[in-house]
Amino acid sequence: MTIRSKAAIVGIGETPTDRLGSKPGEPRKSSAEYISWAMHLALEDAGLSLKDFNGQGLGVTIPTAYPQPFWPEEVAEILGITPGFLLGGATGGAGSVSLLGGMAAAINSGLIEIALCIGAAAPFSEHFAGGIQPGDMRDWEIPYGTMGPNSKIAMVMRRHMHEYGTTLDHLGKIAVAGRYHASLNPAAYLRKPITIDDYKNSRLVADPVRLLDCVLPANGGKAYILASPERAKKLRKRPVYLKGFGERSNPSYGARAGSDALVMGVKDSGKVAMEMAGVKHSGINFLQLYDDYIIVVYLQIEDLGFCAKGDLGYFERTDFTFKGQLPIQTGGGMINCGQPSTAGGTLHILEAVRQLRGEGGERQVPNAKIGLVSGLGVLPYGKNLGCCTVAVLGNEA
Amino acid sequence: MAEVNLRKPLPAITTEAKPFWDAAAQQKLVIQRCHGCRAWVWTPRPSCFECGSERLEWTPMSGKGEVYSFTVIRQVAGRAASKAFEPDIPYVIAWVDLDEGPRMITNVVGCGVEDVKLGMKVSVVFEQQSAEIWLPKFKPSPT
Repeated sequence: MTIRSKAAIVGIGETPTDRLGSKPGEPRKSSAEYISWAMHLALEDAGLSLKDFNGQGLGVTIPTAYPQPFWPEEVAEILGITPGFLLGGATGGAGSVSLLGGMAAAINSGLIEIALCIGAAAPFSEHFAGGIQPGDMRDWEIPYGTMGPNSKIAMVMRRHMHEYGTTLDHLGKIAVAGRYHASLNPAAYLRKPITIDDYKNSRLVADPVRLLDCVLPANGGKAYILASPERAKKLRKRPVYLKGFGERSNPSYGARAGSDALVMGVKDSGKVAMEMAGVKHSGINFLQLYDDYIIVVYLQIEDLGFCAKGDLGYFERTDFTFKGQLPIQTGGGMINCGQPSTAGGTLHILEAVRQLRGEGGERQVPNAKIGLVSGLGVLPYGKNLGCCTVAVLGNEA
Repeated sequence: MAEVNLRKPLPAITTEAKPFWDAAAQQKLVIQRCHGCRAWVWTPRPSCFECGSERLEWTPMSGKGEVYSFTVIRQVAGRAASKAFEPDIPYVIAWVDLDEGPRMITNVVGCGVEDVKLGMKVSVVFEQQSAEIWLPKFKPSPT
């Protein structure tokens, strides 16, 4: 089964990141404003118009705290589209990468020819009632005083350090490379370069997780447009093909003793995506990895098979900058560009497209032909992240 | 026993989990076990995640385990109800691996936060939160 090169990204759009509404008196924009803005940027990039999407695909990421389940339909109304195929990206932070697979499959089936995938959130400007907590979190976590994802990722990070001897120097290398790339990306939010000592000395948030380990919540909207290869060739930008796709939701079940909590589902979904694309590790020119935390990026590099589990030497000798052996987070990632809830992960797709078009500016990876993108969603009870989705993108079919 | 604080968020006593809370009120830790394949099933659910059997039996546990990992909460954040935990700061959130196999999210109590270590042997204690809810927590086992 394959959807290799059966669809291509032909347009991207991304609003600037802001934190409007975090201070009293600041103007507040709604999610609708960001979503419309991102769409118009993507339409302009692709050279398509709004009404081209009537009867076609519309995919919408579903923000974690949004109080109503019909958000994708509401987005169609906000934008003025009558989709022929409406898909919600319901895998949390993995949503935008999940939509790549779902829409490419729909295009490959002939159901649709083009699709707009979009997401936005304005956590600082809009105030939700806190959403509905799943039963496990409500009954078995919150009564103990857990403080959101920080508490759980802290336990993953501490155990990895205990089991493999991982230090803040190993982890900090990822933080420093990401911020360096952000300093070269005019669209990034945090752009002042940091040193390894800045990382190590940043404030403890949930021991051992520090401030510079954590993603930056922000308002914003992001969009991309997919098309069949035939349609893509007639449009203005160089097509970026979806060459491989793999998804593993709920990669393990049950909360049980042992070290499964240090292994991410990308171990399987990455293998599926790379086999579909027909690429080996040496053929991948860069990684854009879902980055809610630095340790999560670190684990993915291990579990995607770029090194053995616990191979500290690999992290010591590898240059992760755009000029290095394994460029990662070449635009700075969500940690430096901001995370508008579940739309945040779209950023990694957009940066991959820029690199594969040669639009990477000062941070362009030389001769970039193939890149790998991941999306991760949900932190289940007693284990590592839930839905783990991987896409391999390339600029040749 | 900890001071009863009704403002802390409490678990919902669903029909599925009621036997767990009834046992906890009697200072007993019970977890579902599959009658067919003998798998321990945690958190509570209607059928076995290994074999699909609906014949799950609430089974007494030894109440012993070890700390797989932990964090120390030194500030509250997020939802308003988090404020109720402020008087407890600093406190430990841990993954405790029970000797029988399941992993629980819990608090390690009965020692200083600096004394908690990975691999530390712990045993269950129950702290009353409301008339019906006694939360299983863990304290260092005597060595």
